[in-house]
Formats: sequence, C-alpha cells, structure tokens
Amino acid sequence: MPSLKPQSDLDRRVALKLLATAMAATMARCSRPEEEIVPYAKMPEGLVAGEPMRFATTLALSGYGRGFVGISIDGRPIKIEGNPKHPFSLGATDIFAEAEVMSLYDPDRSTAIRHDEAIATWDAFSADWGQATRAQNGHGLALVTNRVVSPTTLARIAAFKNRYPSMRWYRYEPVHDDAARAGARLAFGRVVTSLPRWSEADVVLSLGADPLGHGPDELRMARAYASRRVLGAKRQRIHAAEAVWTLTGAAADFRIPTTPAVIVEIARAVANACGANLGSPQIPEDAEHFVERASRELMAARGKALVLAGESQPAEVHAICHWINAQLGAPVDHLPSQDAVENDHAFELVALADDLHAHRFRSVIVADANPVYDAPDSLHLADGIASVPFSAHIGLYCDETAMACHWHLPLSHALESWGDSRALDGTASIVQPLIQTLYPTRTRDEYLAWLVGEDVAKAYDLVRKTWQSNVPGDFEANWRKALNDGVIANTAATPLALSLKRPADLPRAATPRGMSLAMSPDPSVWDGRFANNAWLQECSEPFTKQVWGNAIRIAPGDAERLGIADEDTVDVEIDGKTITAPAISMPGQADGVIGLHWGQGRLRAGRIGTGVGARVCGIGAHPLARLLDGAVLRKSARSVPFRSTQAHTRLEGRAEDIFQIATLNELGHANAGTGRRPPSLLPVPPKGDYAWAMVVDTDACIGCNACVVACQAENNVPVVGPEEISQGRDMHWLRVDAYTRPHGYIERRGFQPVPCMHCEYAPCEPVCPVEASVHDHEGLNVQVYNRCIGTRFCEANCPYKVRRFNWFDYSGDQAYAGEGEALKAQHNPDVSARGRGVMEKCNYCLQRISRARKAAEKENRKIAEGEMITACQAACPTRAIHFGDLNRTDSDVSNLRKAPQHYVLLEELNTRPRTTYLKRVFNSDDQG
Amino acid sequence: MAQLFRPGANSIAVAVIVALFAAPVAAVALTYALWDSPYATDQNLTRAQPVPFSHAHHVGDLGLDCRMCHTGVEQAASAGIPSTHICMTCHSKIWTNARMLAPVRASYASGKPLHWQRVNRVPDYVFFDHSIHVAKGIGCSVCHGPVQKMALMRQAQPLTMGWCLECHRHPQKYIRPQDDVFDMYWRTPFDQPEQGARLVRQYLIHTDHLTDCSICHR
Repeated sequence: MPSLKPQSDLDRRVALKLLATAMAATMARCSRPEEEIVPYAKMPEGLVAGEPMRFATTLALSGYGRGFVGISIDGRPIKIEGNPKHPFSLGATDIFAEAEVMSLYDPDRSTAIRHDEAIATWDAFSADWGQATRAQNGHGLALVTNRVVSPTTLARIAAFKNRYPSMRWYRYEPVHDDAARAGARLAFGRVVTSLPRWSEADVVLSLGADPLGHGPDELRMARAYASRRVLGAKRQRIHAAEAVWTLTGAAADFRIPTTPAVIVEIARAVANACGANLGSPQIPEDAEHFVERASRELMAARGKALVLAGESQPAEVHAICHWINAQLGAPVDHLPSQDAVENDHAFELVALADDLHAHRFRSVIVADANPVYDAPDSLHLADGIASVPFSAHIGLYCDETAMACHWHLPLSHALESWGDSRALDGTASIVQPLIQTLYPTRTRDEYLAWLVGEDVAKAYDLVRKTWQSNVPGDFEANWRKALNDGVIANTAATPLALSLKRPADLPRAATPRGMSLAMSPDPSVWDGRFANNAWLQECSEPFTKQVWGNAIRIAPGDAERLGIADEDTVDVEIDGKTITAPAISMPGQADGVIGLHWGQGRLRAGRIGTGVGARVCGIGAHPLARLLDGAVLRKSARSVPFRSTQAHTRLEGRAEDIFQIATLNELGHANAGTGRRPPSLLPVPPKGDYAWAMVVDTDACIGCNACVVACQAENNVPVVGPEEISQGRDMHWLRVDAYTRPHGYIERRGFQPVPCMHCEYAPCEPVCPVEASVHDHEGLNVQVYNRCIGTRFCEANCPYKVRRFNWFDYSGDQAYAGEGEALKAQHNPDVSARGRGVMEKCNYCLQRISRARKAAEKENRKIAEGEMITACQAACPTRAIHFGDLNRTDSDVSNLRKAPQHYVLLEELNTRPRTTYLKRVFNSDDQG
Repeated sequence: MAQLFRPGANSIAVAVIVALFAAPVAAVALTYALWDSPYATDQNLTRAQPVPFSHAHHVGDLGLDCRMCHTGVEQAASAGIPSTHICMTCHSKIWTNARMLAPVRASYASGKPLHWQRVNRVPDYVFFDHSIHVAKGIGCSVCHGPVQKMALMRQAQPLTMGWCLECHRHPQKYIRPQDDVFDMYWRTPFDQPEQGARLVRQYLIHTDHLTDCSICHR
C-alpha cells in the first residue's frame, strides 16, 4: 500500500489504486489477526504480569543526584515519580526527571562503538588505547568530565589517577556556580554550598536569584515556598530585583526590573542598612521605594529574613549577601561543597582549551560531557581535540564532541545503570537500573574501570565496593534498605560553623557598552543535554510559551525604540558573533537587557534536537558566562518562526476574569463565586459513589511545567512537532497558561494549569452526534475514542479549549520524526494510544481512579481520601493541584471550595466545572 | 400493435418491486445476524497450540485449581499464562520424556518462551481486569465455559460488548458466592434470583456505575 503520509502527493492513479484496493478489501472478511501470548520461560520473582513495580533510583541534574521512583510494567520503565524519602525530591518531580524515560527509549541514542564515524569493535579500541598509553604514566593524558559528585565515579577517577599519575582531570559544568563559589571564597575563605531554609524565612529578597527555577535544588525550595503560601500573618513576603523574568520573580510579591548594575547598588543599599557603610548607593528613582521597603522589612524580620544573590551577579555581591545574611541571622546552612575539584568551572574549561592548543596531550578522554558544544567558539575546542592523536568520547549520543573525537563509546542511560550520586547536601543514593541495557553500552564507572585494566568490573560490583568500605554495620541489610528507601541513611553533611570576613568594598559596576545579554539555561532542555528529548522540546517556556526553539526576549521599551515587533526575527551581535532568533517583548524586563536561553541550537543532537533554535553558548570570550555586555540588536534578514502554544486562543481582554488575583487585604471580603446556581437546559448529570474534583491553587503554582510532562508520560500524549504546533495543534492534555497583569507601575505574572474542567453541564456533550463525549457516574466527562468520528464539534463548543484532536496518527506511523515505534515501549499499557481522527483530553487519570477503585472494592471499602492521586498532582513540587471526592464533606477539595480565594473559571457559563481554582494572592504594601 | 410484455411480466414486475424493498432489509438483517454469529466472533473456535495442552486432563481428570497456573488472576488484570518453569514443576517429575512435551523441555533448557495462540481476546481498547471479577463472585466458567471438558482450549463465549453488558446490567443473574468462583462444576441454583440479588448487595456491587463507558474503556 502506498503511504498515507500527508506529504505524499496523491495523484489520480494512486487514488484509483487505493479505491480499487479498498473495494477489493470489502469483499474479503476482515478477520482479526491471530495474536500470540508469550509468557516468561522463568518468571522473575515478585513480578505479576501487567502490574506496575516501583524501584527507587537516582537521576542527576548538573551532577547532583535527586532520588526518584521509577515505575516499570512488565520490565519496561514507563514513568518517573518522586521519592518522598529523598530530601531533594520530597515526592515531587521536575520536567527533566519525568522526561528521562523518553531519553531512555530515544532511537537516536548511540548504540555502538565508533571509530572516525564507522562502527568499530572493542578489540580495535582496546588495541588503540593500549598503543596510546603504552609506556606512559599518563603523561599527556587528559580526562574531561562534567561535575562529578558520585562517590563511585570519584573512586574510579582516583584509580585512574593512580594508574596514570601524570594525567590531568578537567571538570566543568555548563550550569555552574562559579560566582557563588567565588563569593563564598571571599566571605568564608573556602568554597561552600549554601542551602537556604526557605520555609523559615518571613521575608526574602532575591537579587537576580532564581531558587524556584529549574536546578538541583528546585524541588526542595518549591516545597518550602509552598509551605508559606498561607493566608494571614504567617505569609512570606518575597521581594525580587531582576533583569529578566525568572520563576522566582513571578512568585514575588514585589518585583522590580533592573539592570544587573543596579542590582549591585541594591545589594549595597541593603548592606548599608545592616551597617556596612559601603558608600552611598546609586539607586534610580523608580527603585527607591522598592529598596526602602525591602530593607525595612528585612530589618524588621531579623532571624527570619533571607537575601539571595543570583549567578549572574559578581562574586562580591554573593559575598555581601553572605554578610547581610549573617547580620540578619538568616536561615541558611553552609555545607561543605560536594564538588570534588577546587578550581572554578569556567577556569577549567579555559585551561583545557589552552592545554589542547599548546599540544600538551597525546590522548584525551571526554566522559559524558559535551565541551565542543558548551564552550564558546573562541576557544576552538573542536580543533583542539581533533589535533590530539588519541581521543575518545563516552556519551549517550554521538554529539558534537563525539564528532571531534576519533573514538566514541556508547554510554548506558541512568535507568539502565548501577551507580551512585550525592545531592547538594551530600545525601547519597544509589542509581538502580530498571531495565537491562537496551544496547551494548556500559556505564561511566565501567568505562573508567576498564580503562585502567579492570576488565571484568561490573558497575554493580563497583558501587557495592564503594559502600562496603563506607557503611558501618551489616552491609547486606543496609544495602537493601538503601535500595528500598532510595537514600543512604546518615550521609547528609552537617552544616559548617564558619567565620565570616567583613566585606571589602563593593566595586561599582561599569556602565555597560551597548545592551547586556542575560543568559540562563533553557527551562526546557537545560544546558542542551536534553535537546533531543521531544517531550522537553514541546514543553513550553514558562513565560513566552515558546516551544521548539529559543527567543530573544527584550523589554517593550527597547522593542519600541528599535522598531521590533513580536515574532520579528532579529540578530544579536556581540564581538563579531551573531545569534539569530525571533524576538518577543517581555513587559517587566529591564530596559537595555536582552534575555537568552542557552541549550538550543545543537549541531548534532539527533533528529529531534539538531538545528532547533539558536546556539547561545558559542558567543563571547568567557566560557559559560551568564552576563555579557556590548550587544547590538537589529532586525534580521532571515526569518525564524516563533512557535508558541498559548496564542492559539485569544482572551479578548478578559484576563482578569480568567486569571483572578487578589491582595491579602482584599480577600477578607472577597466574593467566592456568585453562589447562584441558575437552571440549565442540559440533562442533570448522574450521581455516583464519588464526585471527583480538582482544585488548582494558582497561588502555589510556580509554572515549572512538571505536571505537563508528567501528564504526557502517564497518558501517552504524543508529540506533534514544530510544524503542527505552528498550526495550533498541540496535544498536551494539561497546559500551563501564563498571564501578565499590569498592576500600577509593576507587572504581575502568574501561571494557571488548565486540564479538562469536567463540567457537570458539559458543553461538549450535547453537540456530539455519536455520544462519544459522555458523563460517567463519578462526574467524569469521558471521551470514548472508539465512538469518536472526529467531527470536532466538541472542541469548538468547549469554552476552556482543552480538547485535542489527532489530525494525524501522532502515536503510530505518523509520529513526529518517526519515533513512534521506539516509543511504544514507553507507553503506559493502562491507557489507549489514540488513533488518527480521534478527539482526546484529560480524563483525571481515569486509569489511576480505576486502579484505586478496584483496590478499594476488593477490600469492600471506599477509596480513602488522598488514595487517588493524579499524575499531575503527584509531580507538583508545590502541591498546587488538589484532587479528591466532593461527596466527602471533609475532603481536601470540599474544604478548598469554601476558601475565600476560591473561584470558578468562566462561572457565568453555568458549566459547573469540577476543576476549580484558587486565586493568585499577593501581599500588599499596606497590610499589617 | 403487438404485446410488448408477455403475460408473465406482471409477476416478474411484482417480484422485482418486492425484491427492491426486501433485499436491503434482508441484507441488513443478514449483516446483523453475521455480526453476532460465531463466524464473526470466533466463538467455539479452537486454535492449534505449540503444545496440545488439555484443560480436560489437567482440570477435569486431575482436578488442578485454576490458580495453580494462572497465578495473577486474583491480583492483576491479566490472569497470566504460566511460565515454562510452572509447567516443569510437575513435568520434571512426570511424563519427563513425553514426545508432546518436547517444546516445553526445549523452552526450559534454552530459556526461550513458548508461543501460545491467544484464544480469548478482547480488543486493546477494552481494559478487562480478571482480579475484580474474581473478587466479586464472577466464576471462571461464566466466561471461559466448561474448561474441564475442553481437550483443546476454545473460546466459549462471543466476547462481544453486548455480551459483556448483559452481565454488567444484570450481575445478579451470574454472580455466585466467592468460595465457588474457581469451582468449574458450579450450577446456577434454583434460587439464583434471590441469591444473586443478595450477593450483589453483600459484595457492594453498584450496578449504576457498571455500564459507564469509563468502566472498561479509557
């Protein structure tokens, strides 16, 4: 049969052939294909076919481990959930952890050893490596890694050093903490990891910091943040001064957009208020009130006040923040850094480039790092590595660095590996595999062991060896407990008692030449390592809702001055290098600052990530810089599309009804809905044992998107690709809408997760000609895929725009980039994969309700409160999503529906949604 | 002018007119009849298996319990087809050299699984769960028929949605005491209307919900 793909041009002959085939096919009986049942030859112990099994494991972000629980069905890992016992997960996940199952099954993963691009053998590599290191003690041998905190890997690197004493180890992390490290050196004379105890702070001032943004500490911080979103006097007050929008800035009560230079002056002013006498601060007029209020509130909340500096601030600001925190008695723990290397990250990368160009190496091993992409072009790392006679790259993908190296060795994914890691505070946990390696790959530890001649070393034995010597008591019992819990007990570091140096002078920031570039890791693909993950590429940027690319974010003032409209393609030129991307103006961004995300523009990521967006890390002379000056912005001759998911439906100026905000003072006499229940012409919905409902707390939501990716993983939501997104055909069952609300002279932003509302009087139901959209007795508005004929009437009639249509066979033969076949292994077998021409939408994780109901009914009881947890609810780090039974008057959702900040989306339509909202609440200036 | 039509033409015309009306009706009726017939549903179809496993022998003659081999039936959606190791629990002791068991021994030796032909099949969009049916007093024989008499396994029921719904609408007709679920010789008692209604109440089965689409499709 000819292909039915949309791009195939169907001419008359093909059409007639198809017609004839179809007619002939109707003559034959359409018999069901025979199906085989293939049971195990030897069933693994404890396995029940088709039932999920849960294993604690560890996934790393920027080197630091966070403990999660992997769910596997019939031996296939299908979902990642949080591990409540791990202090840096606390039961929640983020988008990167959720998307790891997608990476595991990524068909673009490297599957074979390669030598100069051609598939090679172990023996050939072994011979070449022996040749390269023969009669050497490691002279001219370099090892390049990202940040390593894993005790086992550190032991392997120590063994490597032992075998080759003169080798040099370079470690750098693209999303580094060099400014914080340098600041700690200035303040304490040593590098420390400072972990704020956010929940203990009554007042927080963020100076360009983004503790609620993505990173290894996000989940812990977000949970602490949510714990203080109470209504009343105990509510935390957050002040933020920042150049570009961060999730922390959006969460702040008082935020001011300022250039990085002004943030230094704000730090000076706050330090002076604490008694530092650092000269008079030069605060612009519009920031005076902000600074005065922040200083006053910080002083008033001594012992419960916290100041945080961002990574784009110079070391001196970090040092002064340490000093201010000490004066305020701020709740911050200073812990020994888990990073094993004393040198800063950018320094190490420059040193590597210098040593490469000085031809100091005869062999280079790059282990699970991509320096060719991460380093700026000015370092010429690709040429440097290519000039080394023996070079080998160990990685998940044949990426840019693999291109520059002679050898490439395929790496096992974390979900196939044994290993270990440490969290920011030193909490150790085991990386436990959920599946055997899909391809003939090895782990980083196994490769390092193999390179020093430990030929048969298995990662499992290497990890056990590390902990056998480190854990007192009965090792086997402790090992099993560590695997079961997902944390190794008593491994967190104790806070240090440090003596603080009085701050030296805070240098005045020079007036920037041209515009400043504020750069940060991409909120979807991080430093680029997730660029080939289609879920993450289609996970929208929190503020612009952009997918499949990065944008040049500019202040509206600059846009007007330069005559740049939204979605115009612009060039940013800096030191002769140009970045071309669509521009988008961001109300609330500081004038003179350009916001950019790095991590896109990969040259060799795979069929998903290659060529998406613009490469930002290639510019500048300083590698891994967060802030650059001297940028020039102009309209581009090229045209790059801006793809976003929110502009599909226009609000017509009704944002204040839809995304409701209130100040704490207003809430006392706020109207929690009209309370009227006007009659409806629609049939009365059936009533049953349960009345499922969801309440989404937009006050707690920080816009991290974890729920979106969790929903995608749980419900087999397909990826549609950039072209389909451009036509408004996104498939996410749960979207997070971003709202901008001008409030006086400041911008307020907020996020609103929108799943299906499960209206009691659902407008989608009466318009369906085939009753594919129907109600069940538990209040769910369900979509019956096998009845659906694809009229899309329901989608047109849905006022919330939550219905999604399969224009093509996104889950099967027409999957984006042909990933369908590989991703079948990821699919949740409890959920149908929807075919072409079928409408779909959120069903409150019906499969989980069904599982909970069956478990309860087998025990002749009702589903307990809190027993049924949706995928989005489980993922949420701030617990903004509440789910439960309205038939119980004491349930969480029943209580929240009585809260003063409760409201119903588009209540005037009388749809009686089961999904309702809590207003975004801001502290105000005048409250007591 | 000569007669254009012969005398029989009237009868032919009547027959044609009747046929014009009758044929579509008959075609629809035939389609419906075929739709539910064993021809379309594969009811009573016996499939060839790699090993001619006889339920008649193992269940009927030896009296093995269903759960001996179908280990998942009380916990999971799938009852589970036994692994080769379960077969070899007995067949490493008895009939160790039987020719008909050669594929089982080969699978045991090589670790490669046996490939059975599926007999009872519902479509992929039906999420049938054995464990809840077994827990709520629906016996194996209700759907699988007199397995203890089947030398080779065959599909005993049509497994159409209408057939499923018959029981979901009137579970009291089919429900039995939980203790008798695995009893292949259970007969509907004369007081089934009363006993069934009592068991439905006792097992807390809520019939209103049982015909929701979302009970089986998601």
